[in-house]
Amino acid sequence: MRPPHPLALLRYAALTLGALAMALPFADMFLGALRTPQELLAVPQVYWPRDPQWRNFARVFDELPMATWLANSVFVTSAITLLQLITSAMAGYALAKFRVPGTTLMLRLVLGAQMFPFFLLIIPIFFLLRFVPLLGGNDLWGQGGSGLLGSYAALVLPFAVSWYGIFLMRQFCLGVPDEVIDAARLDGAGEFRIFLTIVLPLIRPGLATLGIFVFVYHWNEVIWTITVTRGASGLQTLPVGIYLLRGAFADQSTEALQRAAICISVLPVMLVFLGLQRFYVRGLTAGSVKG
Amino acid sequence: MSAGSSSAFAARGLAPYLFLAPAALFALVFLVGPLGFALWVSTTDWNGIGAARPVGWGNYRYLFEQDPFFMRSLLNTFLFAAGSLIVGVPLALGIAVLIARSRLQSMWRMLFWLPMITNIVAIAYIWRFLLNDTNGLLNRALDLLGLPGPDWLTGINWAMPSLIMVSAWMTLGHNVLLFLAGLNEIDHSYHEAAELDGAGPLRLFWHVTLPLLRPTLLFVTVTSLITALSSFALMLVMTEGGPARATTVAGLYLYDMAFTDLRLGRASAAAFVLAAIILAFSLAQFRLLRRGGVERH
Repeated sequence: MRPPHPLALLRYAALTLGALAMALPFADMFLGALRTPQELLAVPQVYWPRDPQWRNFARVFDELPMATWLANSVFVTSAITLLQLITSAMAGYALAKFRVPGTTLMLRLVLGAQMFPFFLLIIPIFFLLRFVPLLGGNDLWGQGGSGLLGSYAALVLPFAVSWYGIFLMRQFCLGVPDEVIDAARLDGAGEFRIFLTIVLPLIRPGLATLGIFVFVYHWNEVIWTITVTRGASGLQTLPVGIYLLRGAFADQSTEALQRAAICISVLPVMLVFLGLQRFYVRGLTAGSVKG
Repeated sequence: MSAGSSSAFAARGLAPYLFLAPAALFALVFLVGPLGFALWVSTTDWNGIGAARPVGWGNYRYLFEQDPFFMRSLLNTFLFAAGSLIVGVPLALGIAVLIARSRLQSMWRMLFWLPMITNIVAIAYIWRFLLNDTNGLLNRALDLLGLPGPDWLTGINWAMPSLIMVSAWMTLGHNVLLFLAGLNEIDHSYHEAAELDGAGPLRLFWHVTLPLLRPTLLFVTVTSLITALSSFALMLVMTEGGPARATTVAGLYLYDMAFTDLRLGRASAAAFVLAAIILAFSLAQFRLLRRGGVERH
């Protein structure tokens, strides 16, 4: 091996500095979760915990509805992921492999719909869900109750379809050879059987990419969840519950607990991400940069 | 022609529509319907509970002529977006160039990606702790150096720059990834030819890499701008728009107008104004960056 070029050394030094700037904030959060109340109240605050309070990670489950939040996060995120996988694969397949009147229009819709920012839709969707007739205590005219707002449906349904997901699945379905599909048709297979037994297995890498992407995105979603669950504490997800209960941590001696709860909210996504990183990266670059 | 094959054909004729049905239904219920509803609400004085009276263009006129904070919130939005672009894009490009020439690419990429998979509440609190006036790591480090630490999030002049810094930190990995993808597409022979001609690393970057990276640069700039102009989650969770509205961007302002003040007409009008501004900006930017030079490589 030849000795490293001085420029290369400089490059690695700069990259290490950058990596430290990315990792240190997380380490600071974690260290703080291990401090004792006395260490938190000391002036100046003790930075390096002398007697690491690992119990803090268990205590947040005793003292906060962490288990409910965690269950809600898992349920809502899984439901959205599953729904988006199904709807994206179906629509993506139709847009890739069928040429019938209406598919061009739908493709344009899929591309155009991605341009509408969420802040434009959040107000009308909130009130449309509230005024769903006959549900959540509403009468026939959608008055009197809270409609779908107090239910999981309010957290899941507005994200049942992803335009980006449909587009991504279409790209993957385009790679499925027509011959395979036609051969199955000649063998007398129905269209849904072809979709289930031939197309889905062939686009499995695409489904993995979309699945992990959707999971990470919706685990971290807060704006819509804050809006819908401000008054429905039983429906709050991990990040949202921690945020809305911030008043409980006003006393500085409880800072470590808040930090512990936040660490727990970050951990599941980190694990999923580290395990499935290659699928995730592919989803982000697919179809974005076409030189 | 047997009856069987014709019914199979009929099933095939219907199949694509059945595959598309969920998406089409969703588009109606969660896109077209809400957009139409919002457009109508923006021309009324609806408060979410009582009856709605039509006010025509009244809400739009109110926002520009009378509303004491809407223009301020737009200004804050532009400030935030400009800051995010100026800090975030060159930084991401620099890091991507460094990574592209190094070993362990995926490790570096992953490190810079960490904030992208972290929920915004965690990011907000990580930085609220780091930027705390007295106990935060940053001011304690400055204190050790004998420097006075600023009141990062509570000072009127410091809050917006602090948010820009956090936002740049948070989105860095995304832009690094896009730049890396762009850099990896560049044909190595260009660099080899330039190196043979004796070009140094800086000249190589300026005269070879950058022009070839133009499509990626365009894409990153436009998406960063759109994201920055429409984002308000960070402000909501981190500063709640304060201090003294210094970080109330338009998205947050209209969100509060809708869900705190229940002024749905004005909030919807503000949402359409902001959406129109974002659209205009992204179209203009496309034109500007496309004109003259490499359109595609």
